[in-house]
Amino acid sequence: MSECGVMSENMPMLLTESLDPAQRELTHQHIESCAACASEWSAMKETWQILETLPTVEVPARVKQRFLAEISAASAVPANVVPFRRRSAARWLAEAAAVVIVGGSAFYAGHRTTPRIDLTPADARVTAIQPYSIAESRVLPAASISPTIEGRPDIENVQFSDASPSNQQIGVSFDITSHVTVTGKPTDKSMVRLLRYVMENEDKMSPSRSRAIDWVRATYSRVDNPDPEITEALANVLRNDEHQGVRIKAADTLQSMQSAMTDGTRDALVEALKNDPNPAVRVKAVEALAKLARSGAVLDPDMVDTLRKKAAQGDENVYVRVKAAEALSSIQPR
Amino acid sequence: MKPTIRILIAVAALLPATQLLATVFQPTNRVVRQLSIEPGGSVWIDNPFGSIDVIGGEGSLITVTADRSIVASDAASLKEAADAVVIVFEGDSKVRLIRTVMPALRNAHATIDYTIRVPKNVAVKIGSKSADHIRVSHITGSVTVNGFAGTVIMEDVSGASALNVVNGRVIYDYQQNPIAKADVQAVNADIDVYVPASAKFEWLADTINGDILTTFPIRGPRFVGTVFRGQINGSGGPTINTATMMGRVLLLAKGSNAGQASSVRLNPKEHRPAPGDVMLAPAVKIQLPFHDGDWPFVASVADIAIGEIRGNAHIQIGAGEVELGAVFGQCYVTLMGGPLNLGDVTGLLSAHTGAGDILVRAARMGGEVSTDGGLIHVVYSGGPITLRSGGGDIIVGQTSGAIDAQTTSGDITITGDPRHRTLKIGARTMQGNLILNVSPRFGADIDATIVTSDPDVNEMHIDFTGLTVRREQIGAKTRIHATGKINGGGERVELYAEEGDIHISAQTITPVRLANPRR
Repeated sequence: MSECGVMSENMPMLLTESLDPAQRELTHQHIESCAACASEWSAMKETWQILETLPTVEVPARVKQRFLAEISAASAVPANVVPFRRRSAARWLAEAAAVVIVGGSAFYAGHRTTPRIDLTPADARVTAIQPYSIAESRVLPAASISPTIEGRPDIENVQFSDASPSNQQIGVSFDITSHVTVTGKPTDKSMVRLLRYVMENEDKMSPSRSRAIDWVRATYSRVDNPDPEITEALANVLRNDEHQGVRIKAADTLQSMQSAMTDGTRDALVEALKNDPNPAVRVKAVEALAKLARSGAVLDPDMVDTLRKKAAQGDENVYVRVKAAEALSSIQPR
Repeated sequence: MKPTIRILIAVAALLPATQLLATVFQPTNRVVRQLSIEPGGSVWIDNPFGSIDVIGGEGSLITVTADRSIVASDAASLKEAADAVVIVFEGDSKVRLIRTVMPALRNAHATIDYTIRVPKNVAVKIGSKSADHIRVSHITGSVTVNGFAGTVIMEDVSGASALNVVNGRVIYDYQQNPIAKADVQAVNADIDVYVPASAKFEWLADTINGDILTTFPIRGPRFVGTVFRGQINGSGGPTINTATMMGRVLLLAKGSNAGQASSVRLNPKEHRPAPGDVMLAPAVKIQLPFHDGDWPFVASVADIAIGEIRGNAHIQIGAGEVELGAVFGQCYVTLMGGPLNLGDVTGLLSAHTGAGDILVRAARMGGEVSTDGGLIHVVYSGGPITLRSGGGDIIVGQTSGAIDAQTTSGDITITGDPRHRTLKIGARTMQGNLILNVSPRFGADIDATIVTSDPDVNEMHIDFTGLTVRREQIGAKTRIHATGKINGGGERVELYAEEGDIHISAQTITPVRLANPRR
């Protein structure tokens, strides 16, 4: 069976969270790297979500009784079946000791008898690199981890596990705080996604979220066509961030990324113009909409209506009103 | 003649022909329809694109003449537009609705010009997006117009009227003395009202950017904010309200002309209004390389860009953007709204805006900078400075004087001049981080407080030793309080951050060097 076939079979179990951690991780990694499987997974998730919304239908008592009777009949253990028993720990230990002794002896003998060979570096062979998945929880096979532990990573909450003693696999789980630097072009999708994630979710930025938005602005103002995901992330910051200083910067940055504006971004600006309590955010939002209008972009009726209301709103800051009027003067009705 | 030249001539001759091939189609067709209407009935016209003429007369019939024009880039688009753009007649003899159905068209643009003759006593309602003109004449019933762009002309309309226009112009021409209320609201339109000289009415006029002019003598003129109110030919009569945000209002007695009109503003150009009157000053745009001497300036709406003011600046503006390269004296700028960008201010600085960011490159003697909402960035302050933001970050690139900074929500970053061993600093943010960068030899009596609902997230980071840090629980919040002397003590440094971190960072700082602005 092809890898996609195997992963396709794993998907239902992934949905029901019944895959073991290693398989779960492998399946997730494959989905991330395979467009066909990603599409299948997306469809499956959607179906699953729809199923959740369906009403629960009560099973008629007669059907239920019959079903349970059949199940209990099928699950009865026949007399000729001998159940497996868990092997004792002592036996496991003895086997492990034997493996260590045999392995150790072989290593010692090899080192004592094999002459030292200096390897000349061969040409590097480029192999496909597994994408590094930034995830809340990861399961990594020991073979994929370098035996060198660099620096002194901050490891906490260490747990040991032996989920299925039959397969000789053990697990060590821990939380690790390590510093990761991801490099790439500003237009790389992974970089865009990473920035979007941190802008939308991360409170702790060094030195501050405001400065992070400044950095995004400086970086993406140099890019010809910034990814709309960046403007969408900024729109979400504009909608949700509690810090007014950050919202001001998000609105200001959106103003400089007209070419990447989506409907959602424009809606966020309109929302900010209507409702943001900080007048500077409203100023930035109306300036962004005015710039949009000047560029000849078609503004939807809701935007035009908001601008009309703002221009006429007597208790609004006069500069916001003037800018709303300016935006209206640039609009060509379509 | 060389073959190349012949070819060039041929190409030149053929060019217009290619243009002809791409000629747009502009057919016009006409629909005429008659409909009955009861006396006092309503006629509603909804026409997104195209002019509308409604003419009142006698009788009980509505005669609609509609001329449809379609401009298309090709025959297929023309056919598509012709099929899509239709006129719909709805309603009954009490209410008639004449509506243009105009979906979004590809490669085509359609307009329908209506001429509608109606009994003069009907109520007329018009909706339009873009029209060369909307003209309503000889109507005694009520008139409502809601238009986006175009000229609206009301001619001999004696019924109550309400006009709402965004861009364009409004001309209201009374043939007889007004007897009903008129309400004109516009955004970017001039309003001209012509009234018989004997007319008696209450006049309200409002504009932010324009002027209010009339040839009538006014009784009891007064302003409430930007709204002017006065009586024409005595008290009583209907109210005529003329409000436009960015345009001007002109009220003329019939027989007079615009040249004879004078402004009703209490503060003509030469008058220097009190702060409350700023919105009554004229609107201007100024761009100058320099101004010699003091510069007192007042405007309702103004964008200002001046390279140098070689004296004191005293600027009051309602709304606008101010950019001053250098001010050699004291600088007093206050805006009700708009960004402020100030360069090198030699004297004391006092800058305020009701909404917007403030950037000051150098406040050599310090001063006061405040915004009701916006970011404040002072690159260098040479004297004591007070900074206030109603919401927004505050950044001080380097200060040699005492600082008192407060923001309702935002981060505060202050860097002390390394040439000063100690500085008095007060910084307070009600939601955000506080970062103080000083040289390693900086001495101060520190009193730093964090109040947070998440003590795992918000922390105190201090590069100096010798401070005592206490934590205490106050209700659902934790108070982290650090006190003590650093480097043997010095001026008091009082820092307060809610739901944020405090960083006191010791680092090597390069001192700011200022050039002589007069050089």
